[in-house]
Amino acid sequence: MKSPRHLILLACALLALIASAFAAKVGEPAPGFTAVDSNGKQQRLSDYKGKYVVLEWHNQGCPYTKKHYASGNMQRLQKEWTAKGVVWLTVISSAPGTQGFVTPSQENDYLKTVNAVPTAVLMDPGGSLGHLYAAKTTPHMFIIDPNGTLIYNGAIDDHPTSDQSDIANSKNYVSAALQEAANGKPVTEPATRPYGCSVKYKD
Amino acid sequence: MDWKPLQRGLQCVCFVLAAWTAGLIVVQSAPHARVELISLQTTLHPGSDLQLGIHFILEPGWHIYWINPGDSGQPPSFKWQLAPGFSAGEIQWPRPERMQSSAELTDYGYHDEALLMVPIHAPQFINNEQLRGLRFAVEAKWLVCREVCIPEHANLELLLHSGAIKENSATAKLFADAEKLLPIAMPQGWKAEAESRKEHFLLTIAANRQLTKAVFFPLEPGQIDNPAPQTLQATTHGAKITLKKSDLLLKPITVLRGVLVIPGGPAYWIEAPVRQPIQ
Repeated sequence: MKSPRHLILLACALLALIASAFAAKVGEPAPGFTAVDSNGKQQRLSDYKGKYVVLEWHNQGCPYTKKHYASGNMQRLQKEWTAKGVVWLTVISSAPGTQGFVTPSQENDYLKTVNAVPTAVLMDPGGSLGHLYAAKTTPHMFIIDPNGTLIYNGAIDDHPTSDQSDIANSKNYVSAALQEAANGKPVTEPATRPYGCSVKYKD
Repeated sequence: MDWKPLQRGLQCVCFVLAAWTAGLIVVQSAPHARVELISLQTTLHPGSDLQLGIHFILEPGWHIYWINPGDSGQPPSFKWQLAPGFSAGEIQWPRPERMQSSAELTDYGYHDEALLMVPIHAPQFINNEQLRGLRFAVEAKWLVCREVCIPEHANLELLLHSGAIKENSATAKLFADAEKLLPIAMPQGWKAEAESRKEHFLLTIAANRQLTKAVFFPLEPGQIDNPAPQTLQATTHGAKITLKKSDLLLKPITVLRGVLVIPGGPAYWIEAPVRQPIQ
């Protein structure tokens, strides 16, 4: 007979197993999710079947995130690709009390201030969406194709620094992957090492 | 802790000293770290290489990164300004520490203190003016992190005069300690091989003794799942270490490079040819 404590441990172990089994791997179905956005609206990955979906892990206090926002690079990408029908979901997994944690209204103010135009910002203070995708850094980028397959997991570009001046000489992996996929070609570099600050999970 | 008064004080002292002795050390304080350019030698001699180092003294809890920073972070980088004929070698990275911040994230780097040594090659001929005093300058950039990360940079300088090569007694111990932390080649007769399995690499170290403890640090990012626990099985002559593959690894690799740290012992450079699974 197992004590309740054992059962709890067992349940935790099982959950951990399930989480690892659903980790986001290029070439495999992207893990499905439901999350609440900064306007209080429910966002389901399945709602976007038939479209390309970009996931962008975000922390407005992180120097690497700032590199791409203060330069306008991220906003440019959001504008360009959402205009072409791509769904752009920014995800904030910073736990309360950690860098990058914001309330929905603070986030909406920030979007206006920096002229960011993602399709939606998913509020993930509990980190479950971050853990589901094993998001490591801010930024960390994922691309899901119209069939729901993960086609890119990695860095935003090939210059792992916090210097804005590097952007002009960088190859943007997200644009390259979306462009190749749109042209019906396989993604040349489907997995790269994401770079940036660690995601500020609660645990 | 506020390093600024200390910095100014040291700078003044150093400038005064530089007027009549061999070395000028410019110490820079940045938030959470004190950084200085130091030399193992007190003097400059034509044809004799120099061992310089960028010495980081970190506030408690803060860290900088190894050449492969792991899942987040960025290694320090140095841009040298040297006199004609002089050239800087590669950074000699001490063995790193594992730093796990969450289930997804393990970084590799240094706490408390790190001396990143860089050999400087000196030319055979140094002109008279240079012999009177030669300036070595480096622009150092680094990322310092605790829960949050701050990119920092500093311009550091050192002035050396000519003379018979002598070790600098003030820095000799720092260099000797740093030397002990450098990974070395595996002993003669030891061998490292890896086998690629579905989800793992099995790294086999054939040694002349049983290895009961060892930690592998991958040199290349995106090969090993950094936070995954490494399981070690001691064998009569060596050990077998199971390393989970990274989700980012989509193509087979032919060689697994890294550093094997024996806790309480040496650290070895590993270059293990990877055997692919037999289909």
